[in-house]
Formats: sequence, structure tokens, C-alpha cells
Amino acid sequence: MPKLYRSREGEITAIDTKTQLTTLGSQTAPGPLLVPNQAKMLLGVFVAAVGNHSAINDANFFIRLEGPGLIEGPEVIAAGAEATQVATGGAAGKKAEFIPLNIKIQVSQEILIFGEMGGEDIGAAQFGVTLVFEV
Amino acid sequence: MSKTLTVEGDVNAANTKTNLTTQGSVAAPSRVTPADAKRITSVIVAAAADQLAEGAANILIRLGGNAIRRGEQTIICAGLAANTVVSGSDLPPVYNPLFMVMDADIEVDPSEVIDISAEVVGDDLGDATAVVTLIFD
Repeated sequence: MPKLYRSREGEITAIDTKTQLTTLGSQTAPGPLLVPNQAKMLLGVFVAAVGNHSAINDANFFIRLEGPGLIEGPEVIAAGAEATQVATGGAAGKKAEFIPLNIKIQVSQEILIFGEMGGEDIGAAQFGVTLVFEV
Repeated sequence: MSKTLTVEGDVNAANTKTNLTTQGSVAAPSRVTPADAKRITSVIVAAAADQLAEGAANILIRLGGNAIRRGEQTIICAGLAANTVVSGSDLPPVYNPLFMVMDADIEVDPSEVIDISAEVVGDDLGDATAVVTLIFD
């Protein structure tokens, strides 16, 4: 069961604000993320979301998948939660987590990926999402 | 023939595709897929940044080159963040977990070169390093 991996990332700088992930590091304009021609199913997503904790607060993270590439409509998926007690020193690292989905898709159509913070403002957060397609 | 291929390297500029071509004491390890390889079954990634700059970032790897049958694959592996440390204070080291895709199922052609690159995407966290192992079947 071969798989294809397609990614987007971006920074979320405001709380309760839907923010589309449109870049991919050195690729500042990779264009729309289209469902690959050979794809049969969206098996799941890898998500890594991390805040910079420049403000003392607590926030939750989630992603939204939207667009004509999703036959059964939009999906919203939890991606983590973080809090900080001081904003004057700290470092953290976490691995991306796989979330299995098994979602029906429409080939050659776009999937839009959004990141969002709920709760309180902890500064900015970096979101990275990889869509894993079965072909 | 070996089933594994491991490369590592420094990734010191944010949002810059950086090819991983070394392996510690081996300056130029082979990046050719095994002669009988059909697919990558597993991808293992470890990355860390010295986090001397404040911000938040992801670690992204790209698998490309002639060996990847269906074109470049991009995988988000981790999230890293740092606050600027107040002068005179200390912080413990950060131990980042190993990121593993155990059923990667990425189709490859045998005896072809594979390009493995890493990027710190988002904010610049200072200097970073990454090591990637691919396991073939």
C-alpha cells in the first residue's frame, strides 16, 4: 500500500484566528495542495504544533481541513495544548504525532489546511502538517 | 546488502533546504538505494536546535532524487520552541524524542541516488542538527 506525503506549515500569531498554512520552509509559494492523481484515501495527518510562549497563558491547538478535495466536508482535529508560567527562558521539543483519519478524497482537487489556537494567547505558534495519502 | 541508509548534517539557516550528505566520521556515505529495494518501510528522524534564538519552528524533511518513484515526499517531523534565557540563569538540556514512521511505504527504484534534506521551518532557533535513517525492503 504505497503512500504519498504532502506538507504545509505556517505561523499562527493571533488567538481564535483561523490561519491557512500555505508555505513549506524554503518554498514560500508551493501553490495549492492538490490531492495526488493516484490517491485513493487520506489515511491521516502528521501534526506538530508548538508555541513560542512569549506570553504567560495556556492555549490549545487544532487544525482544520477544508476544500473540494474532501468529499464528505471539512474536518477539525485537535493538535495539542501548551501553557507557560514564565516567559523569560525555556526550550521545548516534541515530535509530530500521526492522527489516523481514513477520509474520502477527490483527486486533483485542493485541500486547504488551517491552524488555529484556542484558549488564551501564548504568543505565536508554529504549525506543520503532513497529509498522508494511500495510492 | 545493507537495509539501512543514514545521513546527518548541520541545518543552520531557517527556511533553507539543506542536503544531509555526511555520516559523522564518513564524509561522503553512499546514498544509493539497495540493489533489491522496492520501498522505504521506515523513516527515523532525530533533530535538535541549540535554541539560542527565540521562536517556534518545525523540522521538515524532504525525500527526493531519482530513487523516489513518485517524486519528492515532504514530512513534518517535530516542533521546537525557545524563549530567550534571562542573563545569568540556566536551563536544562532538551531531549527531543525520536520521530519514527514505521509503515512509510514510499516506493523507490533500486540502485538510484536518494536525496535527503532537512529544514528548520518557521523561526530561526540558532544552529540545528538532524540525522535521518531510512529502512528499505
